[in-house]
Amino acid sequence: MGLSHHRIGILFSADGPYGLVGRAMLNGALLAVDEVNARGDCVLEPVIRDPQGALAGYVAGAERLLDAGIRHVVGCYTSSSRKEIIPIFEKRDALLWYPSHYEGFETSANVVYTGAAPNQHIVPLVRHLLARGGRTAFCVGSNYIWAWENNRILRETLAIAGGDVAGERYLAVGETAFDQVIAAILAAKPDFVFNTLIGISAYRFFRDFRSACAARGIDQARTMPVASCSLAEPELEAIGPEAVDGHLSSSVYFTSIDTPRNRAFMAAYAARFPEGPTPSADAESSYIAVHLLARALARAGTEEAATVRRAACADEFEAPQGPVRLDETTLHACLTPRIGLSTAAARFTIVAQAEAPVAPDPYLVRSDPRVVPVSRRPHLKVVP
Amino acid sequence: MTTPRLIQNFSGAQALLIAPPSTATDVLAGTLMKLGLTVASVLPAGEAPWLDFEILDPEHHIVIVDGDLPLPGLAASAVPDLPPVPVVGLVGVEAPSRLKGLLQLGATGLLRKPIHGASVYAALFLAVNEHNRRRLLEERLARHEERRRGRRHVVKAILRLMQEHGLDDDAAYETLRRDAMRARQPLEAYCEALVRARPSVAAPALSPRLARS
Repeated sequence: MGLSHHRIGILFSADGPYGLVGRAMLNGALLAVDEVNARGDCVLEPVIRDPQGALAGYVAGAERLLDAGIRHVVGCYTSSSRKEIIPIFEKRDALLWYPSHYEGFETSANVVYTGAAPNQHIVPLVRHLLARGGRTAFCVGSNYIWAWENNRILRETLAIAGGDVAGERYLAVGETAFDQVIAAILAAKPDFVFNTLIGISAYRFFRDFRSACAARGIDQARTMPVASCSLAEPELEAIGPEAVDGHLSSSVYFTSIDTPRNRAFMAAYAARFPEGPTPSADAESSYIAVHLLARALARAGTEEAATVRRAACADEFEAPQGPVRLDETTLHACLTPRIGLSTAAARFTIVAQAEAPVAPDPYLVRSDPRVVPVSRRPHLKVVP
Repeated sequence: MTTPRLIQNFSGAQALLIAPPSTATDVLAGTLMKLGLTVASVLPAGEAPWLDFEILDPEHHIVIVDGDLPLPGLAASAVPDLPPVPVVGLVGVEAPSRLKGLLQLGATGLLRKPIHGASVYAALFLAVNEHNRRRLLEERLARHEERRRGRRHVVKAILRLMQEHGLDDDAAYETLRRDAMRARQPLEAYCEALVRARPSVAAPALSPRLARS
């Protein structure tokens, strides 16, 4: 069989409000392209478009890539950008390879999801916190769907276990004034803080919360740890040394995974991108997406969506996080959930890990209660 | 009791599909299975659509019916106002007669044809929870009707106690309420039993002076 040549689209925002994450994802994808091309059974030619974080940029970028005859695009970080361009992929029967953890409740025959679904990030995190005696949470998040859905799942899972959410605050993306929120948290004295803030809001919150606790003589990391489902190594570096340690993160990938496969990935990444940013879970997920795509293209012998999809589902890839394969029904990946505790060196110590990859459950049909639990106590009155 | 339970996870439920097989229903069935439901087609071949409401389990079944089919068979077997299970209507020809048919079947959610996988969860969520809300409201209304009918017995019982024990109306009501509570009976049922158990005392004759005025 001759060497097959494929142009693939790459659609990440390396600039804009979440450019740090976008650059890590772009790097992950490009590293995989290099490895595929070096292996020699198929040649990938990446065509890169940068929407710079603007929704209109994603639509224009996707349309230009598909207009140019490209059938497979690896891209998107935010759910809003993904939802914006899915109709384009469905209409033209192309495949979007979406490599980010997200809040779930979606499937499309034209999207392959290689990032973690909620049963692979928030559900293991809540179970871990409950097992360690955490019953009361305080939720603070950026005001959009990622925070709303994760907080809902946390609230319902805690309610079943007899726990409670002591308070819930949402701030606009980019907001950095946390005095009132921190005062409310300190007054509520929760067992842990659940953080769904993103970007600069999150980094500022970690710093301000740590210093507010220190000013009151509270050991924040031990007394009121902050737990997240999106905290990755590049972000720890952005938080800064004074508040970087002692935070819990639920993720399917940490750079500290101690296997020969991950060490090789880390070394190759560092050699290719010495300027960084440090690889994150989403960078690894982009790397997986490109490898799975290349292997499926080579096996399918065509770029036609249905054939590539079938070939991808019949494959298993040895990723830096461990073995990864796609679930045929949902086109989401089976991944290995882990809980990390951040260290002063801006890395994570893995404190818990699933024994085997966990099948995706994007609609939480196997993980969620059928009926929404009610956390408030029944009102009873004494009858004379 | 005060608010209906919110159903957000449909795993274990069964969707009964009354729709001719097509690509659209393939998309629908595929998405329903992703949402954890089993799917059964109940469209009898060569017959008018028909569904036996007796076999339906409100906790388990969701009916999805194509509004483009002739619906009289369904309408004839439907309970007067609300079917026992949630109904989702598939809308193709968007005409008042077809929509009216779905309304009469008690559809509380709609899916526009051709069906997109991304709209199925929302339609199911609204159909099931709106159905449950309506059922609770109807049950509550029936209970209130029942109690309203029973109020005449309460009035009689209050008057009886006022006459027999020289109480004012508030004290008589309070006594009845407490006794009904102790007997673990609704106030209306307790009062009805009380009034029926003892022969009524004849009302005092009107005084001639009063009669004259």
